[in-house]
Amino acid sequence: MLTLEQKIRAKIPGADTGIEIKKTVCDICAPDHHCGIDAYVKDGKVLKVEGTREHPYSHGSLCTKGLCSREYIYRSDRLRTPLRRVGPRGAGRLEPITWEEAYRAVAEGLNRVKKTYGPHSVAFFAGHGKWFRPMMQRFAYDFGSVNFGSDCSVCNVSLIFARIISAGCNYSPDIAHANTFLGWAFGGYYSSYHDVQEVAALKERGGKVILIDTRVTPAAKNLADLFLQIKPGTDGALAHGFAKLIIENGWMDRDFVEQHTFGFEEYKAYVQQFDRKTVSKITGVPEELIYEAAKLYATNGPACINEVCFNLAHNYNGQQNYRAITGLNALTGNFDRAGGALPAVGTYNMRSAGFPTREGAFSGANRPEHPRIGEGRFPLWDMLWGEYQAVTLPEQILGGGDYPIKALFAAGLNVRMLPDTNKTLRALEALDFFVDTDLFLTDAAQYADIVLPVCSSFERGELKVYPGGYAMMTEPVIPPLYQSKTDVEIFSELLPYLGLKDELLEQGYDACIDWILEGTGLSVESLRAAGGAVKAPVAREYIPGSYVAGGMKTPSGKWEFHAQMLDRFTQSHHLEPLATYVDCFADDRDPALAEDYPYILTTGTRVPNTIHSRLHQVPWARSLRPSPLLEISRSDAQELGIAQGEPIEVETPQGRVCAPAKISGKIQKGNVLLVHGYGACDASSLLSSDHLDPYSGFPCYRSSRCMLRKAEE
Amino acid sequence: MRYYILFHPEKCCACGACAVACMDQNDVDVQHGEKGYRAVYEYEDAGGAMGECTYLSISCRHCADAPCVAGCPTGCLSKEPSTGMTVAERSRCIGCHSCAMACPFGIPRFSAGDGKVLKCDGCFVRLACGLQPACVRACAFGALTCVDEAEFRRLEENHAISAMLRAVNQTG
Repeated sequence: MLTLEQKIRAKIPGADTGIEIKKTVCDICAPDHHCGIDAYVKDGKVLKVEGTREHPYSHGSLCTKGLCSREYIYRSDRLRTPLRRVGPRGAGRLEPITWEEAYRAVAEGLNRVKKTYGPHSVAFFAGHGKWFRPMMQRFAYDFGSVNFGSDCSVCNVSLIFARIISAGCNYSPDIAHANTFLGWAFGGYYSSYHDVQEVAALKERGGKVILIDTRVTPAAKNLADLFLQIKPGTDGALAHGFAKLIIENGWMDRDFVEQHTFGFEEYKAYVQQFDRKTVSKITGVPEELIYEAAKLYATNGPACINEVCFNLAHNYNGQQNYRAITGLNALTGNFDRAGGALPAVGTYNMRSAGFPTREGAFSGANRPEHPRIGEGRFPLWDMLWGEYQAVTLPEQILGGGDYPIKALFAAGLNVRMLPDTNKTLRALEALDFFVDTDLFLTDAAQYADIVLPVCSSFERGELKVYPGGYAMMTEPVIPPLYQSKTDVEIFSELLPYLGLKDELLEQGYDACIDWILEGTGLSVESLRAAGGAVKAPVAREYIPGSYVAGGMKTPSGKWEFHAQMLDRFTQSHHLEPLATYVDCFADDRDPALAEDYPYILTTGTRVPNTIHSRLHQVPWARSLRPSPLLEISRSDAQELGIAQGEPIEVETPQGRVCAPAKISGKIQKGNVLLVHGYGACDASSLLSSDHLDPYSGFPCYRSSRCMLRKAEE
Repeated sequence: MRYYILFHPEKCCACGACAVACMDQNDVDVQHGEKGYRAVYEYEDAGGAMGECTYLSISCRHCADAPCVAGCPTGCLSKEPSTGMTVAERSRCIGCHSCAMACPFGIPRFSAGDGKVLKCDGCFVRLACGLQPACVRACAFGALTCVDEAEFRRLEENHAISAMLRAVNQTG
């Protein structure tokens, strides 16, 4: 028999122990996950977390990051009150003030800039957090500024662009019905366990797995039937090599190509130059593996491609490489087919759940007509995305744009999101007024005039939607810690201080959600009453093939190998309608760079213990990997005379950092991997703010030239 | 009921979810030098082929015939009767480290504070309440599983039969 003391110590839920399980979601990583959490709560305090078994998406699992939730929400340096800066920007000297004082100061600071320079000179920016975005965008427009931007400027939208200009819609791989899974830069183990579970199930039912990556990953070890290790930034060449083989060997879907594509002959002629030998030379992949992979992918269908939402985008040729890859869906007839790529309707908060909402109408309601900052530089971005391209923000603040940006309202700004951290910090220093919301006093927040404390997903209720037509409203499992509020409360409460009127937003989050959900058969009340995930009455199961049958939403109504949406920018911006392949260093200003900086630096990559900078200061997470990860190959280590763990210096024209070397057989000679987000070893400080994909404006986190040397002791 | 915590290295990626779940379950204060009872490793053989590596998640094996229990002079360590987990009654520990000497896996550790043994208890209270050990519950990949005696025997038999079949097929 167990004693009550034993049960309390083991945190067993029940009436006797007083431990209750309350449901929430993890929002540490991207909104396409947000797994369900069972929070073990006693006396208003979270004691432990576990995945929610009945959750329609995560089915009981949580990743390493989500399992760190308790230490994340109870980090000892959570902001307790609003703060006002009393020292120089960046010095971290701030004093506590009341919310009333904070709201007055924010209103005064923003309205002063508005009065002097006009409303567009106040930029609004949302960091990694997504849940408050529709309300923040609306708030920016209510203020009168067109300039709302976010971390989407460097994340998933490049891939969405590739899909929209090719197929007229976004789509996702249907792993559950595929025979072959082609995982292009598939890092699932450390970023998306759900996909690993699906791919493992595919293998169990006899399916085949092809993985393409620059490094040997856990997926390559545990799941791949064929693994192609590729040089960074050469993915487009490999995709065109596949295409040439598929066409030549009669593996293409002739009917689909004839009936549903535009520009095929031009595409076919273009890929002729990508013979196996050439492709092998460019990509480093052996010729026979290129053949085997193309054959398996094209002949063992249905086949789907994991086109991974961001990492291929982080190259100078990122957008074109995406288009080269995604073109294979059409060439093999795997688009809009069960087990291939299935069109997806955006539902809410960057998630497709199989039914539409009024989110776009809500967030864009009061959008002013005015050019955004940076407009004209990346015309594809301007055409397809309503936000400003945030890579242009520091430049604009520093006086490099058409009109001044003098104030910034940020929610969770990470100074290491953009390349060239020093430039970002210089820009923050140059602002007349800067307000930031966050849970912690981040390096960015230390530059703010006013810092407002916000709470975690455990301390608020919010709408979540999930694939399969599901929606749910969470409830706070604990009250907001200290004096923190939700971001949306802040926008609503600030309106009167700013002298603005928006009846809907003033009523708060629930009223906004009810407006957004109108027509779906759902409401905040019905979702609350259900207490968990429910299917939206308007949700319908998608019937594969129906999108293509109705005509695609492209100028030709077909899949466009020749993207007509790009025709208008060919003359002005040299954007090519075909997915032409260029080298990822085609923008080198000086040919000597390749000699002076002979290694390729890849920053980014997912590690299990953090996302971006988010968990580096959470002790449990940090204990898994205490020092920054800088990985080099065995042969480079030998040449440089570096032993395992010895400090090594990475230098680019932009800067220099030092970290202990991790010598590994997983990375190829000539490549260097540095995980981003560490404060003391800042990968972003090494990157140039001019080395950008001309189509999307995305920074080249995955391919910069660098030099390596053994660090002086 | 005897339970077994099994590790399947071919499904592991050393993500550390199990290790963090253990810290959460046991309130491990890593900031003050404490460690969880489970750790993950990524072991690369420097002489091996490109990228050849092994992922490991290691904790107490809860051996049936546990050398640590046999080596403990005070009866601090024992097999918990309802679950078969190897547990410590810390009030009886004299900090002699005999268990650590006996353990082939180097599992028992000792508190920097009171010098007494620290080890995984297999979450035997959770097991007795029908819940999985925290580390097993946290593994999204099926690399850690927990089975009862009957299931364990069945798996053992299947394993033996498969090995025999492979041998027969190879020689035949």
